[in-house]
Amino acid sequence: MKKLMQGRLVPLLMLFLAFALVASACGGSDEPADTTTTVADAGGGGDDGGDDGTTTTAAPADPVDPVTLTVWSWRTEDEDAYNEIFDVYEAANPGVTVEFVPFVNTDYNTILSTGLTGDGGPDVAQLRAYGGIQPLIEAGQLLPIDGELDLSNFTDNVLKAATGQSDGRVYGVPFAYQAFTAFYNVGIFDELGLSEPTTWDEWISTLDALDAAGYIPISAPAADNWMLAIIHDAIGAPRYGGQDFEAAILAGEKDFTDPDYVASIGLMQDLQQYLPDDVVGVSYEDSKTLFLTEQAGIFIGGSFEIGFWRDNGPDLDLGVFAVPAPPDSLAESSVVGWMDGSYGVNASSDSVDDAKKLVEWMGTVEFGQLFTTKIKQLSPIPGTTPDDPLLAEFGELFAASPVSYLSLVNFRYGDPSADSLFREGVVKMWLGDSTPEEIAADVQAGVFQWFTPGG
Amino acid sequence: MAPRLLAGRNVRSTPSSGVGRTAPPWTILAVFIAPAFLLYTVFLVWPLVQALFFSFFEWKGTARGAFVGFDNFGVLINRFPLNEQLPNAFWHNWIFFFGTMAIQVALGLLFAVLLQRKRRGKQFFRTTFVLPFMISALVVGYIWGLILNPTFGPFNAMLKSIGLENLARPWLGDPATAFPVVILVNVWYWLGFPMLLFAAGLAAIPEDYAEAARVDGASSWQVFKHVTFPLLTPVFGTVAILTFIRSFNVFGLVWALAGVDGGPAGATDVLGLLFYRTAFQGGVDAFGVASALAVVMFITIFGVSMIARWWFGRIEEGLA
Repeated sequence: MKKLMQGRLVPLLMLFLAFALVASACGGSDEPADTTTTVADAGGGGDDGGDDGTTTTAAPADPVDPVTLTVWSWRTEDEDAYNEIFDVYEAANPGVTVEFVPFVNTDYNTILSTGLTGDGGPDVAQLRAYGGIQPLIEAGQLLPIDGELDLSNFTDNVLKAATGQSDGRVYGVPFAYQAFTAFYNVGIFDELGLSEPTTWDEWISTLDALDAAGYIPISAPAADNWMLAIIHDAIGAPRYGGQDFEAAILAGEKDFTDPDYVASIGLMQDLQQYLPDDVVGVSYEDSKTLFLTEQAGIFIGGSFEIGFWRDNGPDLDLGVFAVPAPPDSLAESSVVGWMDGSYGVNASSDSVDDAKKLVEWMGTVEFGQLFTTKIKQLSPIPGTTPDDPLLAEFGELFAASPVSYLSLVNFRYGDPSADSLFREGVVKMWLGDSTPEEIAADVQAGVFQWFTPGG
Repeated sequence: MAPRLLAGRNVRSTPSSGVGRTAPPWTILAVFIAPAFLLYTVFLVWPLVQALFFSFFEWKGTARGAFVGFDNFGVLINRFPLNEQLPNAFWHNWIFFFGTMAIQVALGLLFAVLLQRKRRGKQFFRTTFVLPFMISALVVGYIWGLILNPTFGPFNAMLKSIGLENLARPWLGDPATAFPVVILVNVWYWLGFPMLLFAAGLAAIPEDYAEAARVDGASSWQVFKHVTFPLLTPVFGTVAILTFIRSFNVFGLVWALAGVDGGPAGATDVLGLLFYRTAFQGGVDAFGVASALAVVMFITIFGVSMIARWWFGRIEEGLA
């Protein structure tokens, strides 16, 4: 027996063990390893990915052949609503099953970039907007759809959110836009005899009245500082010139050290007295709770928060208004907005034709209306109307005086992004460690490392 | 069963039996070594080599581009604000290590000594101290974040209720207190670990040594200072090296307490958070820059651990 152990059995056992281990290990490590090779290959073919997509597809032409399309998304909270929306598509397209697979928002980018590299990825993916989509485009993981699908419902400005910066091609069908302005508690306003301010003086006296009555005038977070660049645009965009400034900085005629832009950052400094005490320790959830529990009168927030208010404060009487333009403004009062993202086709999908057909449907009024009704967000497709009156008002305010969320729409294409520098600077300023001039200089120094005006 | 076991033990310990004296053939050795070796290679060595490899290339998303030498390392040093965030985070990891080490060694040793002397309730207290590190770092961070919340947290409410409202502050929102609080929470979280190691070290010291010292007239303090303490040197070495590795790899706890930016204003930023931001919130070239950062982190941790091991080894030799 001992001899047998040493003679044959052991090497055999070893071989088996080694094989089993390698096989199981590969199961785990295959994805990243695959990432390099397949993705690199896909990247190589990325430039002419559009042709690839149409010629290599092996999807059967027979429409009755069942096909399952997987759609990945970061909206776990919308799973039921999406399933209802896709039921409509399935009913109109016999044989097609759409499987909606949501992932946790914060992990989604990593999951998607890994998923798109090998087998087992989605056919259709929800894509981040503007700079967020670029790594996937650069890696050749998405199929260009301009010239392939009907995108007539979208303006170039809307499609910018899904356009490759280096090749100018469109890779996704935008699904929603967000607008940002001031929510207010109608009950508190009525109690204090306040009305929606229409001038800067009225805005300031409203804040003072709230303060005097013991309310926190504006609830805002600075521990979760991603809101700060948005709040700045909601209040300061008219001061620095809104769309005109955007055009000027993109053309290289102005930069972030522009005195009007610096003055707009100064408005954030003036705002601090109206924010919760110790605002740098207040999280996003805390700031929403302060407004929800009627400790704060105003919350500068986004259309995407309406669902939260409706679910958590069904009795809360809410109104919205655009913050009036501050003194010396170069533009009219405005509402900040941006495209939230798009849906695109995985370049290595097994069912490219079916996936394209689904994505094309997601650019129709039918989808847009279902989307805005069931998911309670604003659809960028003309002819869609939200059910929720507050959401509809958001849409109207934005349509009346739209301004791009400057840092997200234009300055997230490289590292560091404008808003990461900006929000860090505002926290320092609120702690007394920075000034509007220093913040502007930091944003300028950081962004202009990778940004070329007019490029 | 017991007699057979005993018999077995006797056989092994009898030199004349010859069993276990000769080394087993390489094939047998290989069978036993292979699983660990393969797992180690596939899951540890290979990813490390891969990170090093990645760091020398240009990246566009997950697509590998041209070989760029040390360019990605250059970005770490030159690109604003990485060039400011990297030394800031690096420095914070060191403070995190020294702060944690100072407090947890003092308290861990104190509790280990107290528990060694205690006869009743030893198991209960030991379990209680060890309990926190059985919880996920994220959960610990989340719970402490709630407790210290400046708006709704019970800690400030308690201070106010006992007339100490002057002390109430945004513990995690004030740059002066945020990082010390993170270190204290980490000590609370991890205290049981050095305590267990010190308890094991204390138990391994033969009682005879202390007895001999006492016979020579040494006081309890002198026994501890001149006998027990030096004999715990290997434990100090182990605690120091493991704490160092943990301190330089810390992520979840700081992320849950202070957010991904290591706020407020970078006051709690550490290399783990910087790596996360670079890798997952960076630009199109994030993969290469993040790989370079990972390599820098690994070299630091590996290098310092090796030096520390060598240093503690020399101290131990000096004692022997």
